[in-house]
Amino acid sequence: MSADPYSARVRTLFEHPAHAGSLEQGPQVLIEDQGVRIALAARAEDGRIRALRFRAYGCPHVVAAAEALCERLEGRPVTDLETFEAAQLVRELPVPAEKTGRILVIEDAARSLGKTLRGNSGS
Amino acid sequence: MAEASASIYLDYAASTPVDPRVADLMAGLLRSSGEHGNPSSTHALGRRATARIAAAAEQLGALLNTEPARLTWTSGATESDNLAILGAARLAQHRGRHLITMRTEHKAVTDAFGRLQREGFEVTWLDPGSDGRLGLAGLEAAFRAETQLVSVMHVNNETGVIQDIAAIGALCRARGVLFHVDAAQSVGKLPLDLSELPVDLLSMTAHKIYGPKGIGALYVADRPDVAVEALLYGGGQQRGLRPGTLPTHQIAGFGLAAEIARESMQADLERITRLRDRLWDGIRDLPGIHVNGSRDAGFAGILNVSIEDVEGESLLLALEPLCVATGSACNSTNAEPSYVLRALGRSDALAQSAIRFSFGRQTTRGEIDAAIERYRLAVGRLRALAPERAA
Repeated sequence: MSADPYSARVRTLFEHPAHAGSLEQGPQVLIEDQGVRIALAARAEDGRIRALRFRAYGCPHVVAAAEALCERLEGRPVTDLETFEAAQLVRELPVPAEKTGRILVIEDAARSLGKTLRGNSGS
Repeated sequence: MAEASASIYLDYAASTPVDPRVADLMAGLLRSSGEHGNPSSTHALGRRATARIAAAAEQLGALLNTEPARLTWTSGATESDNLAILGAARLAQHRGRHLITMRTEHKAVTDAFGRLQREGFEVTWLDPGSDGRLGLAGLEAAFRAETQLVSVMHVNNETGVIQDIAAIGALCRARGVLFHVDAAQSVGKLPLDLSELPVDLLSMTAHKIYGPKGIGALYVADRPDVAVEALLYGGGQQRGLRPGTLPTHQIAGFGLAAEIARESMQADLERITRLRDRLWDGIRDLPGIHVNGSRDAGFAGILNVSIEDVEGESLLLALEPLCVATGSACNSTNAEPSYVLRALGRSDALAQSAIRFSFGRQTTRGEIDAAIERYRLAVGRLRALAPERAA
């Protein structure tokens, strides 16, 4: 008596994470918490995120959320990283309530990366 | 339906498909105009149903080498476990209120013991060795003058580890302690001769041996000090031990499944041993892979493996369309690592990465090869996806 715990969106993102990987140039942050390990790397130009990549050790919702984050923010202003809220991903995928803490790790990584990029740009 | 046909089923320890011969028999009984009588009725149709049930008890009794009268029909192994443990402990509490079991038992057993603890019984929970086996010295040390019941499963449902129930039973019998065995994973798959084994109570179910779900049985040995009290009250069927109208078609299906199992057990065992070894040979070179339990002391129908640096829930999803079981009590809302694997000394991470492959009569070499390919791909993909740990 178990329903599919994954939405079609989660399955697609998990199976085809187009943004999985790393970048040769640009800063990277690594955060480990809640049994989740997330690395985010970005290349920015003119205040915009030109490339955003992730690596993740975690459940399918974590992998899908990391991919969704990259999809959403690539091409956006760097400042969007610092204001990113995990609640957006929790709603979009959706993510079950008991896993929200894991998605907050992704939020932490995004904000940390945003700070690093801002620091690098000297602003 | 498309999803089911694309699946590769390697979860026979959870449940087996109903043997077509069993399904045909049951369908015939459900359809037939002459088999709907209540077995408790004394008229002709009632007597026909009674005869069907008696024949099934003969078939199951032949599988276990015991008298049909020693078998009580239940709804499955969970009910049998509950009836045996709660029924025996409560009835014989004048002999003592100390009970012994293992931490690696099925929930149907551990939860029944938990219930008895809340009723004031004292329970000693024995840990297995790292190979999953119960050390006899540990059991001997746990006995007390007031010990009245020991419950140890024959084949562990997660790891396939086989306990030495002959030796455990002998220790119990020497002390006059009742011995219950949850044999849900071994009846019909491994030889069990209840005329020889020192077992007092034994639980079993049909749906692990290609029979229907919803029917099981409890064996109660024919010895003066072996008795259980009923958990249900009603029409007095089955000597009042388990009242309720008997489901003729379910019982007949169980009986036929038992007869088929008796005939094919040796061939089945040899075949699944080859399949289990083929799977293990195909993945054993992966770095960081571990067998949970013991292949040497394990039932060949189950191979439980953990792997380092791979997250278990993602592994399970990446393995689709394989139908396998995870080592956690996992569903989307509960990713707790398996208490069985934790009791074997596995870390949370390793326990959480565990996958239980289980094989059966319909498993093919092609399915095993597909499982090997899928497991290797999934592990490689998830490891490539994971970042290095911080230095």
